[in-house]
Amino acid sequence: MELLEPTREAFRLLFSGDAELWRIIFISLRVSLIAMLVVTPFAVVTGFFLATVPFPGRRPLVILIQGLLSSPTVVVGLLLYLLLSRSGPFGSWHLLFTQEAMIIGQVIIAFPVMVAFTLSAVQGADPRAHETALSLGAGTTRAALTTLLEVRFGVMASVFNAFGRVFSEIGCSLMVGGNILGLTRNIPTAIALETSKGEFAQGIALGIVLMSAALGVNYALAFLQGEGGLK
Amino acid sequence: MSGPLLQIDGLRKNFGSRRILDIEHLALNSGESNVVTGDNGCGKTTLLRIIAGLENAEITSYRFQGQPLSLEHFPPRLRHEIIYVHQHPYLFNTTIAANIGYGLKTRNLRKSERERLVNEAMEWAGVAHLIYVPPQKLSGGEKQRVALARAKVLNPKLFLLDEPTANLDAEARRHTIELIQQMCLDDNCVLIACHDYELINLPRMRRMILSDCRLAPQAPTAIRRQVV
Repeated sequence: MELLEPTREAFRLLFSGDAELWRIIFISLRVSLIAMLVVTPFAVVTGFFLATVPFPGRRPLVILIQGLLSSPTVVVGLLLYLLLSRSGPFGSWHLLFTQEAMIIGQVIIAFPVMVAFTLSAVQGADPRAHETALSLGAGTTRAALTTLLEVRFGVMASVFNAFGRVFSEIGCSLMVGGNILGLTRNIPTAIALETSKGEFAQGIALGIVLMSAALGVNYALAFLQGEGGLK
Repeated sequence: MSGPLLQIDGLRKNFGSRRILDIEHLALNSGESNVVTGDNGCGKTTLLRIIAGLENAEITSYRFQGQPLSLEHFPPRLRHEIIYVHQHPYLFNTTIAANIGYGLKTRNLRKSERERLVNEAMEWAGVAHLIYVPPQKLSGGEKQRVALARAKVLNPKLFLLDEPTANLDAEARRHTIELIQQMCLDDNCVLIACHDYELINLPRMRRMILSDCRLAPQAPTAIRRQVV
């Protein structure tokens, strides 16, 4: 297969400001970033709670969440499809084949990833951090935030992992988004479609963007992460 | 204020089936310096942690400034009056100044006031020259001095110092003892758990020994026999 020509064409498409291509990129970033904004506070709080508050059934719950890390995105999409389809319990919300449905799907996919990583980071925190904060007069919330700040390297790793998973997932987006051009077509669904049509240039261009955006967002998050934890 | 600063009656603590503490009565007074010594694992740290509200225990009565309190619902305001310093102090992964100012921030002091107090505390502890050094790069003695400054800047009524000179070299130990001496001279109440004979023998120090779960007053000579 000739790779040079489609790659050259891919760069031409990117730098010529091809509207269709950039619309796909915009939808991808919008959906994933909104999903991350929605899921992050809930997942971090849940992870912290599971790591620090003992209660009956905590262990099975942690195992369940860790098990959900490997749940196929297409299964999440299937379940969400059944819930949101016209005959499903939430059919009256008319969310199927919308960006909102894709956001919900990505929130569901990202949640266990973030919870599991936050849980692990907080469990690994030095217990003296929380005690020192309390002893210096911090309330429960401030002491919890201080502990999270101390393990920010691990917490940010949970954000990286979750973003990586949702930004590149195709199964759920395809099922509940429907791959509608200009509305729900994101980078992974577009790559699959273009490649199946033999349009390698657009597929390569989108692949380059997918990799660059993923790296770009990770660098931005790493900047927020600081040097905490690095020896 | 009349009466002791802190009064504890009927304190019992078990770890599993093993009893660690069985203290009938403990009273600490303002302006008083106290030291508890005893064998390793006898429960000195646990006692300090219970007083600081970091550990639960069976207790008949816990009174601070005459007010009866519950360990299970340790009142947040008491966190401003009692400061516990770990044997190996934990410094937050930020600047030394932010570490020392952490407690002041929880008290919602104005930034300019916080900065003034932090600078004073850093001068007091002799760590002002370390201002740009990351806390993780400090030596054990420097960390201990930052932790003492972080506690002192809050001007609490009761300091709980857990083995403050353990694992320090001679110079760091001398610095730390000097700082503790100054804390003892102020009108605070200090309770130190340690084996350090020099600390135990500081002037006007009330000495106690924790042995067989019980706390008893001890003469310095008796402590010397036990510690040396």
